[in-house]
Amino acid sequence: MKYDVVVVGSGPAGSATARFAAESGAKVLIIERRQEVGVPVLCGEGISRKIDEWDMLDGKRWIAGKMEGARIYSPDGTMVKLSADVAGNETGYVVYRDIFDQELARQAIKTGAKIMMNTTVVGLLKDKDKIKGVKAKHFDEEIEIEADIIVGADGVESKIGQWGGIDTTLKTKDLETCAQYTLTGIDCKDAYCDFYLGKEIAPGGYIWVFPKGKDVANVGIGVLASLSEAGMAKKLLDDFIDSHPELKKGEPIRFLAGAVPVANPVDTVRDNLILVGDAARHVDPITGGGLTHCLEGGKIAGEVIGKAVKAKDFSADFLSEYEKRWKEAFGKKIKRNYLVKEIMLDMEDKTFNMLADSLKDYKFDQISTLGLVKALVLKHPTLLMKLTPLLKLSEGKEKDT
Amino acid sequence: MEKPKAKVDRKKCLACGGCISVCPQDAMSMCGGKAFVTVEKCISCAICIRICPVGAVSGEEVHQL
Repeated sequence: MKYDVVVVGSGPAGSATARFAAESGAKVLIIERRQEVGVPVLCGEGISRKIDEWDMLDGKRWIAGKMEGARIYSPDGTMVKLSADVAGNETGYVVYRDIFDQELARQAIKTGAKIMMNTTVVGLLKDKDKIKGVKAKHFDEEIEIEADIIVGADGVESKIGQWGGIDTTLKTKDLETCAQYTLTGIDCKDAYCDFYLGKEIAPGGYIWVFPKGKDVANVGIGVLASLSEAGMAKKLLDDFIDSHPELKKGEPIRFLAGAVPVANPVDTVRDNLILVGDAARHVDPITGGGLTHCLEGGKIAGEVIGKAVKAKDFSADFLSEYEKRWKEAFGKKIKRNYLVKEIMLDMEDKTFNMLADSLKDYKFDQISTLGLVKALVLKHPTLLMKLTPLLKLSEGKEKDT
Repeated sequence: MEKPKAKVDRKKCLACGGCISVCPQDAMSMCGGKAFVTVEKCISCAICIRICPVGAVSGEEVHQL
């Protein structure tokens, strides 16, 4: 078997890459180790409304709900409400990830990509050091598939990168360890995504409540792995639900665990090799959201692969156009937000409470750095000092643009 | 006696892949839809135990024959 491209993993990044590579004429095979695309879901299922701009998904079956905004609760319970205009870039829709992923895979196949399920890649095929394809197990059968480009879309636990000589091992301070119930039998009073912060609630992370309908919501937690102990994410989530009567009356219809990289992106290109999605650490280190990056990055990867196939040039040098373009599209933001994450980790609960108290009545529709700083400092002058590192970053950003 | 090596409770593991992504020795992989420890590679650092969101990884004493 010989293909131009083998994409390992049929998540959003893999399917988007496959689609745009196939669209530009490449012969593409997606390999998926599971028996069903998108299952089990490993995700909070929130996505930015930026997805509307790309028009990559047909129909609306993948949408559970369109969000009207977000509420952020500080450790002492002070609530800051963000309208859809302000929050929409982070929380636009809550989706059914299984349908979402299957729809993206369908689009890839429609453009000519092939897919092979129940197939686990166990290593790279190499001729000396040159990558020539993958070794895989399809049920019990060992197979070899040749390809000019291997795409590692194999998620947070990516092995393709390691095998290709890219160190993808995460430090525990760069991983959020997550657990989530889908609770039904609760009252979702409106289409707002709720976020709960606090060192006691979720060390180095947050708890989220994302409504998926009138009486069903994803209730999940992310804990920074370096602050975690065995089973901590599940335990803290259970404690939170127990102490919230409106959630406690619900019944879980799904329980899942998750792992989200909150790291600086890795190298994403080698000769004959590209990494996309979680494997490339294309996740916002503050929110843990990655879906839009997966799609945008996948599209870029697919287009560059198409060019490579036409030019018959699969060198890292040729493929580096992908790295250059994703860095421009969202890489700078990830890098900046990684620094913000580091600063926020050092902030005490008290600081978040003051921040929330200053912002609870702030009109976010007229957002400007100066206005924001005024609002913050008028109420709590000591905040200025605590936020200096953040303000310095934001000044740098304005110079950048 | 050696330090305890990581052991996955396959009934509890929900296949999130977190342990695989942080293992400094590449001793963990996904096998049959669950995390799997290659015991020979495990250096008993216990990172995977601490980061498991559902407590599916524990330490197991390994007695050498």
